[in-house]
Amino acid sequence: MIIFTIALNTFREAVRDKILYVLLAFGGLLIVGSKAIGYVSFGQEYKIMADMGLAAIWMFSGMVSIFVGTGLIYKEIDKRTIYTILSKPAQRWQFLLGKYLGLALTTLVNMLVLSTAFLAYLWLSGGLVTVALLEALLMIFFEMLVVTAIAIFFSSASTPILSAIFTTIIFFFGQLTKWIVDLAGTLQASAATDEARERYRVIGGWLYKVYLLLPNLHTFNIRQEAVHAEPGVWIGAHELWYGTLWGLAYTAAVLLAAQLIFSRRNF
Amino acid sequence: MVNTSSDIAIKASGLGMIYSPGLFQRKKVGLQSLDLEVPAGSIFGYLGQNGAGKTTTIKILTGLQFATSGQAWLFGVDVLRSESRRKIGFMPENPYFYEYLTAEEALDFYGKLSGMDRESRKRRTDELLSAFGLNHARKVNMRNYSKGMRQRLGLAQAMMHKPPLVILDEPMSGLDPMGRRDVRNAILRLRDNGQTVFFSSHILGDVEEICDRVCVLNLGKKVAEGPIASLLTNKVVEVALSFTGVPKEGHAESAKLAARSWHDGAQYHVLVSDEEKAQKVTAMLQSAGAVLRSMVPHKESLEEYFVRVTMSGGGAGPEYSRE
Repeated sequence: MIIFTIALNTFREAVRDKILYVLLAFGGLLIVGSKAIGYVSFGQEYKIMADMGLAAIWMFSGMVSIFVGTGLIYKEIDKRTIYTILSKPAQRWQFLLGKYLGLALTTLVNMLVLSTAFLAYLWLSGGLVTVALLEALLMIFFEMLVVTAIAIFFSSASTPILSAIFTTIIFFFGQLTKWIVDLAGTLQASAATDEARERYRVIGGWLYKVYLLLPNLHTFNIRQEAVHAEPGVWIGAHELWYGTLWGLAYTAAVLLAAQLIFSRRNF
Repeated sequence: MVNTSSDIAIKASGLGMIYSPGLFQRKKVGLQSLDLEVPAGSIFGYLGQNGAGKTTTIKILTGLQFATSGQAWLFGVDVLRSESRRKIGFMPENPYFYEYLTAEEALDFYGKLSGMDRESRKRRTDELLSAFGLNHARKVNMRNYSKGMRQRLGLAQAMMHKPPLVILDEPMSGLDPMGRRDVRNAILRLRDNGQTVFFSSHILGDVEEICDRVCVLNLGKKVAEGPIASLLTNKVVEVALSFTGVPKEGHAESAKLAARSWHDGAQYHVLVSDEEKAQKVTAMLQSAGAVLRSMVPHKESLEEYFVRVTMSGGGAGPEYSRE
């Protein structure tokens, strides 16, 4: 009950904040603008529209998660609203989880609005709404669940500006994790001497550690496959299940780490 | 063996707090070995200068900070357990609320957090908004509230679930005289309902008027605690005399015994430090033809007591060097 009360209040806070509508408006404009770019790509206009639409939803949902999420806990401490909540029988983990779920709900509603606008616009323009596009949208949502947890983690320990910087860096480097591992292998293969091979082995070891630490957000990116998929064809249950389970596990680990910091803090 | 029975609303034993601001900064003592017992059903005033440790204690009791030593209980339940907070209502100093909420939304939210059902929340919201004169602003966003209105809403949210213990951090701070009177009356009503009130304040006149017991802190250490009547000395500390028709030669004679003397139109006022001197001055001036209009003995006020024990009392000092 306490978790849902805090979650619903967080959702209410987000929907009464003008920044959400500004981001939604920009996202909507980009979706509408995709048709203009589609015109200049003869024969590919619907694919361009779908590609740009998915990218817009991904980017603006990411911005909501980062910019709303990173201020979420800090604002409570800075404005001292946390005093009247934690002095109730609410436990700290309930507060943190409530804030997380509230922002996840905000992201869900934000994505539903943008996705409905995107799919309706694509369909009205003569494009096809495929199951693969729905799959891609679902995967974006799972990705946002992970990004939101990271934003909450930094927010529970740092200022909004630093949190936004760290979360944005992780958001973008999380897309490149596949290349980080590839880079380690390529470096070792290209070594000409034993000395260089040893040096690259050490560097490769560090890169692998970075790979393990960073969220593998690349897993959620099936946007290209979705755009080029035939109508009625699923990209695959494997990607969906793997993405869902991995996302949930990573989210749980990040929230647990946030709770470890948050539970020891004095306000 | 520590007594944590439920007729004691607040119990603290050896409670201490040392702040560690950073690696190269000195540690600060926020609170030192505090032993405290607040009987259920009383109004307890928690006094001290800025930085004395009042807010630190309150934050430890309400689960916002963790003591570095000692232990505390609310109605016998350790403050480290969230159940201890079921029985308390808390208003922080200069309370802030979610600015996007209206007063009735805020009270409903706090009621939910306290585990109240929908019907009770609605009934209690109506009662409290009326009692604190906020009915007209119940649907106004709190970003448009004045300081006084926030303070009253702060009290309302602390009382929402009728907790047996209400903890208030500087509830009268920044309020006008009418606002202070409203807060005083609200505190007295709580005691009349059998609830315990623990509050910190700088406004000692109000504390003296409504509190059953007080505790005085100085630099993180308790320097006095008990019922106000037993703390204040019963001795007369000053006598104010007023005369009319005092001849000029009487002024110089009486001024030798007086702590202070002055004219106010036809009246001549003399302040002396004890009753013996008062009798002497009266006899002296009456023999010179003056008429005594009033003689008012003053006993020690809480403010005078506070200054006395704070000036002479110990305390840990605001900080100590790292070992």
